[in-house]
Amino acid sequence: MAAQQNLAGPSDSDTSSVSDQSVSSRSVNRSLRVAEKERRKNKASDPYVVALKYFSDVEAGTPVYGNDEVENNMVLVEKVAYSKGLSPEAISVMLEFGMSLRMGTSLCARVLKCLIPASVVPQEAVVRAVVWLGVGKLPISTQVLFIKWVLTIFDLIDAKDQLRAIYGFIFSFVTDENLCPFICHLLYLLTRKESVRVFRVRKLLELQSKLGRQPFLLHLLSLYKVFCPELVTLSIPSRMKSGFRNHNSTWKSALTGVQKRNGSQVALSNNPAFTIKDKTNSRKRKHYHLELPALSSVVNKEAQTEPSSSRKLLPLVQLHSFAQLLENMHRIELPAQMGSLLGSSLPLQYLDFVQDESALLRLNFWLGYALHEEFLFCGDGGALQTSEEALQFLNKLLSTQHFLQEGFSSSEAFLYKFLAVWDGSLLRPQILGLLSNVPVVPSSQIGRLLFEPLMQLFFTSSMFFKCGLMECLNNMLLKWLTWHSVYALEDDLDISLNSHTSINMTLSGFKDSVMELVDFAGRLSSVGLQLEGCHSLFLSFVLDFYETVCDMFLKYGLPLVVMPPPGVFYPAMCATDPVSVDRLAYIMYRYKVNLTSAKSQEKLTEQAFHISRETFREFNQYLVVMVNCLWNSKMFQPGMGVQLEEELLLKSNVPQYWTSFDLIHHPAFMSYAVDFHQKCWPGTKDMDLNSIKNSKPWSWYLEYLFTQGYDGLKQFVQSNINWQLTAGDKRGDSRSTQQT
Amino acid sequence: MERHYSSIARTPTNSLVVKRRTKSKSYRLSYQSCFGAGSRLGLTPALTARRLNTSRRAPKSHNITDKVNAEQLALLVKTEWQLSYVTPLYQFRHTQLKNYSRQLSAFIAAEKQQGLAVEVEGPQGGIRVSFSVVQGMVEAADDAETVLIQIHSKPLFARPDEPQKSVWSGWLTCINGNPDYLHSLPEDFVCLPLFCSSGPENLTTVVKSWFQQNFDCCFGPLDISHTSLQWLVALWTNCHAESSIQHLKMIWTLPVAPPLQITYTVNPQDAWELWSSVRKDPQEENKAGKDVEEDSIDIEEVISFIQALKSHFYRHFRLDLSAGSLNQVSTALGSAKYSGRIKISNSKYMITTLTLLTECALLKMPI
Repeated sequence: MAAQQNLAGPSDSDTSSVSDQSVSSRSVNRSLRVAEKERRKNKASDPYVVALKYFSDVEAGTPVYGNDEVENNMVLVEKVAYSKGLSPEAISVMLEFGMSLRMGTSLCARVLKCLIPASVVPQEAVVRAVVWLGVGKLPISTQVLFIKWVLTIFDLIDAKDQLRAIYGFIFSFVTDENLCPFICHLLYLLTRKESVRVFRVRKLLELQSKLGRQPFLLHLLSLYKVFCPELVTLSIPSRMKSGFRNHNSTWKSALTGVQKRNGSQVALSNNPAFTIKDKTNSRKRKHYHLELPALSSVVNKEAQTEPSSSRKLLPLVQLHSFAQLLENMHRIELPAQMGSLLGSSLPLQYLDFVQDESALLRLNFWLGYALHEEFLFCGDGGALQTSEEALQFLNKLLSTQHFLQEGFSSSEAFLYKFLAVWDGSLLRPQILGLLSNVPVVPSSQIGRLLFEPLMQLFFTSSMFFKCGLMECLNNMLLKWLTWHSVYALEDDLDISLNSHTSINMTLSGFKDSVMELVDFAGRLSSVGLQLEGCHSLFLSFVLDFYETVCDMFLKYGLPLVVMPPPGVFYPAMCATDPVSVDRLAYIMYRYKVNLTSAKSQEKLTEQAFHISRETFREFNQYLVVMVNCLWNSKMFQPGMGVQLEEELLLKSNVPQYWTSFDLIHHPAFMSYAVDFHQKCWPGTKDMDLNSIKNSKPWSWYLEYLFTQGYDGLKQFVQSNINWQLTAGDKRGDSRSTQQT
Repeated sequence: MERHYSSIARTPTNSLVVKRRTKSKSYRLSYQSCFGAGSRLGLTPALTARRLNTSRRAPKSHNITDKVNAEQLALLVKTEWQLSYVTPLYQFRHTQLKNYSRQLSAFIAAEKQQGLAVEVEGPQGGIRVSFSVVQGMVEAADDAETVLIQIHSKPLFARPDEPQKSVWSGWLTCINGNPDYLHSLPEDFVCLPLFCSSGPENLTTVVKSWFQQNFDCCFGPLDISHTSLQWLVALWTNCHAESSIQHLKMIWTLPVAPPLQITYTVNPQDAWELWSSVRKDPQEENKAGKDVEEDSIDIEEVISFIQALKSHFYRHFRLDLSAGSLNQVSTALGSAKYSGRIKISNSKYMITTLTLLTECALLKMPI
């Protein structure tokens, strides 16, 4: 019944206000009323109204377990409460239902938690509920929850006169050990001069003698003293700065959300004078495990320091400059919680220097715990929402890893698990960033840990993910190679350390891992280029990767040369943008330089590595194809990587199809050729691009191309093609250096 | 050709000693850090996905009452505990428990005063904390001794002569922890992965944060998974011959809207007979070449036992429980809930249960 009223409530007032305003326009008024009737009819069948009616009518003793009706209705009410808030009448109904314990105690707490007022709370409802408190059947925790709720919505109660009228009744709960602090707070808010009585003061003093000088009692007493100084002779300490605690944590977020949505002006009872920084509140936050612990020194020193080490230690907290760090290097004390180091560079520098295993382990335990709890164990789908905190945390972790130039083993372990459940879009830049810091993975495990999950993500994600992943793999490879180059050098210097090897990474093992990674990236690129129609953005990321690969030997001293698969080579060579072709040319040039120097080194030192003939063969084939294609206008000749049937080519009706990918007719360079032609023979009406092929214009054309910034092409041509300007009519020929 | 990348020598456990090292060594550690920390921790968790054991010893009635102080045991047995996992404690010393008692009670007092106007009189504010070792609560040689923490306080409205009563208790334990994992930890870590607490939430929070600040560890909630609950069903039923389980009660939830909860209670004798029928013949196992020195239970047996229970239910109610999940198990020996609450009612079999829980806790370790 009440439910019915409540929903009709606002609309009633609407109509009345309308009728007040416009007496003249009766017809409008009437039509409004008709519409209103219609709406009411609809509302009668609104499930929410039905739900409220259910709660106002349900009989005491109805079973809860297995009762789907109550569950459904409850869910409905909760949904409305958390989205729009409950109207005053709905609050009355629900509060009465809950506090009367008509369906047992378990529902009562649930009801209390969802009592989010949309506008105000009717005073009568609160008074009735306080009466239920007196019946004494409620469990203590629910009683406390109720009072906390009253404190939270206190400012939203429409009037306080009736509540003040039952001041004495409320006061009687003060003797209850559990309720006392909250009741004191409520009384504090309700107290008037006339409520201060001798017997109440006496009761409070009696309580104080029992409980000690509890702040809640003191506050109430001090208020009493303000009203009636003659009754309270007690001296109140002047140091009382803070007030009652806030108890609104249960409702706060929901309430502010509802109020924001409703544009309500009624503020919460967050009177600044009476709030204290509520630590428990922040502790209850969902993401609190992402909070960095405070940088603090060790507390129980007696347990830690051995008697022998009587040196005076300097806690890291007290360090402020690098110079200070250097001076005190020998007597620095690590903080109590290693997690606090994340994000502060000075301690990290120290940590990086000492390489204390226990300290690293502590940091890793904490970090792993935070990552696991946040992204893997969260039962309530916490990870599904991109929270600002998670983002900041990962950014901090990334910058730390960047600073240390290495990844933490716990973040690595986490990533392997996380990749299996990742959707590829949550915090993508951060996750890919962490992934690129993963240290070398043994080739036996790399497939299961990295490739399988990444492959699935790659084929099911957008092109931007594909680009991101290629970049990530490139960075990963770069880091591995950098480690190797530093490592290999040191190893040569320090042979003695080799005697107690227990670590599992050998050079051949490392090579295998890199090989696997490059192969994997090659497979992904080939298929990715097909899937994305050789998109030039993606192609550019692929070429980035091969720019790293082609220089592995010379730049990083890794005796390994891996050629790109045809799925990468041909799309790059036939790309429609000149930049890609130019970069491919550069990559081929670097391959050549690497292979040449590898070969000469092989000859020089007998024991050097061995690059397989297969690699040389592949390289030569690509080189021949490229030179034939771009230079000799001999596309689609037998024996090349790309072969098409003669018949098919003729069917295509392309004249002189074998020239269609030379530097003049190549789709990437055609516009340059046209431009060049116009500049060379201005005013010529019919354009014959083939005329560029003559010796002189050809060399000019090349010069022209090189001045456009195609350095890769220039290097490629200069290193591979035996070509002189003055070579007469026959243009240079292809020449490949490493004929096997 | 095989150039070996050498490992770093273990750093002295005393973290305060700073040794000059060349840059190369720092890189060395970096280089291996993917497997370094992992392999030093024995398990390389990321690389070999840790799983629950697929076979475990059948619970034998332990005469734990002979080993463990009866008073302490009574405390552990009577209560329902909320479970958490804890990462290894750094610099925790069993010899320092007295100190810890003092520090923790001071810490609690300080926490309580935070945000309060006036100091509560008395140094500890009527709170007394005691740490104690539960002697005898270990199984394997590598297990660290169980530590029991109790918080006593005077009720707010107590008479002055009234004795303090226990308001909170909790314990940290490790029973039959994976020896590889335990060995891989440096000496200054103590691994007590299972934390059981009972008492007001806010005290639990305070105790946890004290541990975090002093031993640089982390606490996370430990739920008892579907599989672990199934294990408990089998392990407890297996005890019926020696000590009656009274009833085997399981609560299942089915994912329908609204959620359907099914309480499935089985007569103990029936459950026992069903269990005996799915048990593999030990003779056969012997033939298979396995040396069964002890009665062991295999995951297959557990699965077929649960399957039999499910199909029995299906025959009667046409409801397939496989669609849902087991949420709660209880017998006279104890009860366990998915939410991570456990009650062990019979001390004789508690070691088996705790072994399982220790394993679950170790599975949650981040590294």
